[in-house]
Amino acid sequence: MLLKVENLHAEIDDKEIIKGLNLEIKPGEIHAIMGPNGAGKSTLANVLVGRDEYEVTDGSIEFDGEDLDELDPEERAHKGMFLAFQYPVEIPGVSNKFFMQTAVNAVRNERGQPELDMFEFDEFAKEKIELLDMRSDLLDRSVNVGFSGGEKKRNDIFQMALLEPKLCIMDETDSGLDIDALKLVANGVNSLRSPDRSFIVVTHYQRLLDYIKPDYVHVLYDGKIVKSGGFELGQQLEEQGYDEIIRHYHNG
Amino acid sequence: MEPRKISPVVQQAVDHYIDQSQTLNQHTENQSLQSLRAKAQMLFADRAFPTQKDEDWQYTKLRSFTQNHFKSQPAKHLTLEQVNQFLPDFPVTKVVFVDGWFNEALSDDLGALPKQASFESYADVTEQTGDFHKLYEHEDDVAKEPFGLLNSCLAADGFFFELEANATLETPLFILHIQTNALQSVQVRNRIDVDENAEMTIVERYVSLDPNQSEAAFTNVVTQIDVAKYARVRQIIMQEQHENAFYFNNQYVFQQDHSNFITFFGSTGSLISRHQNHLWMNGEHIETEQNSACLARNNQTVDSRTDTQHNDVWGLSQQLHKYVLADSSTGVFNGMIRVDQKAQKTDGQMDNGNLILSNKARMDTKPQLEIYADDVKCSHGSATGQIDDKQIFYMQARGINKSDAIRIITHAFLLEPTESISNDGIRAWVVSRLSNGLEKINH
Ligand SMILES: Nc1ncnc2c1ncn2[C@@H]1O[C@H](COP(=O)(O)OP(=O)(O)O)[C@@H](O)[C@H]1O
Ligand SMILES: [Mg+2]
Repeated sequence: MLLKVENLHAEIDDKEIIKGLNLEIKPGEIHAIMGPNGAGKSTLANVLVGRDEYEVTDGSIEFDGEDLDELDPEERAHKGMFLAFQYPVEIPGVSNKFFMQTAVNAVRNERGQPELDMFEFDEFAKEKIELLDMRSDLLDRSVNVGFSGGEKKRNDIFQMALLEPKLCIMDETDSGLDIDALKLVANGVNSLRSPDRSFIVVTHYQRLLDYIKPDYVHVLYDGKIVKSGGFELGQQLEEQGYDEIIRHYHNG
Repeated sequence: MEPRKISPVVQQAVDHYIDQSQTLNQHTENQSLQSLRAKAQMLFADRAFPTQKDEDWQYTKLRSFTQNHFKSQPAKHLTLEQVNQFLPDFPVTKVVFVDGWFNEALSDDLGALPKQASFESYADVTEQTGDFHKLYEHEDDVAKEPFGLLNSCLAADGFFFELEANATLETPLFILHIQTNALQSVQVRNRIDVDENAEMTIVERYVSLDPNQSEAAFTNVVTQIDVAKYARVRQIIMQEQHENAFYFNNQYVFQQDHSNFITFFGSTGSLISRHQNHLWMNGEHIETEQNSACLARNNQTVDSRTDTQHNDVWGLSQQLHKYVLADSSTGVFNGMIRVDQKAQKTDGQMDNGNLILSNKARMDTKPQLEIYADDVKCSHGSATGQIDDKQIFYMQARGINKSDAIRIITHAFLLEPTESISNDGIRAWVVSRLSNGLEKINH
C-alpha cells in the first residue's frame, strides 16, 4: 500500500472539515476525487502534504509504510509526495529555474543522489519542458508571476515531472484550462504514469478523467468519502450530478 | 520664539563639535573658509541637534549618537593589501580615504585618469582662496539639514572631480572609505561635476577595517553632484560599516536638460544609517532613478530619504526603496516629489516595500506628493508586511525547508532594486554585498 488514510479527522480554525475519512491507494493506481464545492477536497489535499494550518485531530496517514504524523511538508516532499495546487502561488523575484533547481537538489540530497549543477539541471529541465510543451522562457521568469491561469497549472505539472514523486495529488489542475491546455496536462500526466507512481486527481469535471481514465472514483462530501466506484461512477456523476448521492447520504 | 530646551548631554555634544570646528579653523590658512565655518558654528550652536519633536527625526533617534564625542584623529597606517581586500571584482579607478583622510599613496594614480577628467583633493581645493567655494556652493540648502550644517563646521577632506564635456569615463570611479579608529569623526565634503554630454559611473563604498568593532564611529558626508545637459551619471553607494557605526550622507544633485541620473543606495546595517538625496530637476526631459535596498537588525535604524523637485517639463523620476527589518530594528522612508507649476508632463513614480521579519521591528514610511502642475502623472505606493505563509508552504511542498524558503524570499525581496543596475558586473557585486549582509540576519 502506498497511502493508507484511516478515520482521518482534521480541522482549521477549530472547525472540523475532514470528518472520518478512509482511503487506500496502491502503487500505480489513479484515484479521482470528486465532490461539490466546500466538500473538503482541497483540505484533504493540504492535510496529506502536511500544511501546518490544518490540525489532524484523529486518525492516521501512512505513506510508503511510514506514519506521517509529525513530518513537515518538505519532509513529505522528500519522501515522494507532491501537490499540484488549486491556486499555484506567485513568488516575485525568485526565478522559476532557481526555485526548481533548489527544490530538485533538496529532494536529491535527501535521496542520497548527487546535486545537479546548472548545466545538468538545464538538460534535465529541457526534457520535461518539451514533454509539457511549455514556453521555455517561463523558466527565467519569477515563479508564477505574470503567468496565465493555464501556465500556472502547467508549471505545477512541470514541477511534478521534475521532482518525480511517488504520489501526485492534483487539486483541480483542470479547472480554468481550455481544451488544448487540458490535453497537454493530461498527456503530461499519462506520460508520468508508471507502476510505482500513484495519482489522486481532484476534479469537478469528467473531461479530464476521459483522458486520464482513473482506476477509482470517489465522491467526497461533508468531509467523508460517501461513495466509491470505478471509472463509470465519474460518467454517472457527469449525467446526474451529486444530488442523488447527497440525498442518500443524508437519509443514512 | 522661545529658546529651546537642550539637555546637558546634547549641549556637551554641541560644545564638543564647535570646539572641534574651532580647532580645525586654527589649522586653516584660508580666511574665507574660516569665516564660512565660523558662520556654520553660530547656526549650529543655535539649533543644536534635532530631537524627536522634530518631524524629520521622530523615528531616527539621536540619543545613542549624542552620548559619544567623536573626534577627528589622524588615520591609521594601512597596507595596500588591507585596502585592496575591499576592491570589487570589476575594474575601477580607486580613490582611498582612511578615517576620512584622502590617501594618495593607497589610491590609484589619479594623474593617469583620461585627460578630460580631473581630481583634486579637498586640501588642493581649499588652499586656493578663490576656488574653495565650489565645494560650498549651496550652503543655504546644506544648512537646512542638521548633519549638513555640522559637515560645514567640520569638513576637513573630500574631493572635487570634474569630467569635461563629451567625455566618457570608461572605468568607474571607486571611492573607498575605510574607517579604522574608534570614535573617529569622518567629515567629508565632495563635488562631482559631469559636464555636457559626458558619462560616468561612481561607486562609493563605506567599510570598517574591523567588521566586529565594538566602539562607535561617525561618518558624515555631503556631496554635490552636477549633471549637465545630456550627461549620464550612474552612482552606486554601499554602506557596509560595522554594526555600531553612525552614517549620515546628504547628496545635493542638480540636473540639467536631457540629463540622466541613476543612484542606488545599499545599506547592510549600522546603528544609524541615514541617506538623503536632494534632487533638483532643473531642465526639460530629465530622467532620474533613485533606488535603495536597506537592511537592519538588532536595534539598528536605517533611514532613506529623497526630495525630488520637478522644475521643468517632461521630467521622469522613478524610485523603488526596499527594506528588510529584523529583530528590534527601525526602518524609515521619507520621500517627497514636488512638481512645480511649470513642470507639465511630469511622470513621477515612487514605491516603497518593507518586509518585517520580527514582531519587534517597525517601519515608518511617508511618501508625499506636492503637485502644482495640472498635466502630470504621479503616483506613490507603500506596502509593509511579513512573508506570506502561502509562499513558504508552496516552497516547502516542493521540498525546500522552511528556513531556506524564508531566506530565498527575503533575498529576492531585498534585491529587487538592484535590477536597475544595468552593468552586470556591478550588479553582481552589489548583490553579493547585500547577500553577505543578509547572512547576518536571524530569521
Ligand atoms: N482557512 C480556512 N479557514 C476556515 N475555513 C476554511 C478554510 N479553508 C477552507 N475552509 C472551509 O473548509 C471547507 C472545505 O473547503 P475546501 O477544502 O476548500 O473545499 P473544496 O476544495 O472541496 O471546495 C469549506 O467550508 C471552507 O469554507
Ligand atoms: Mg478546492
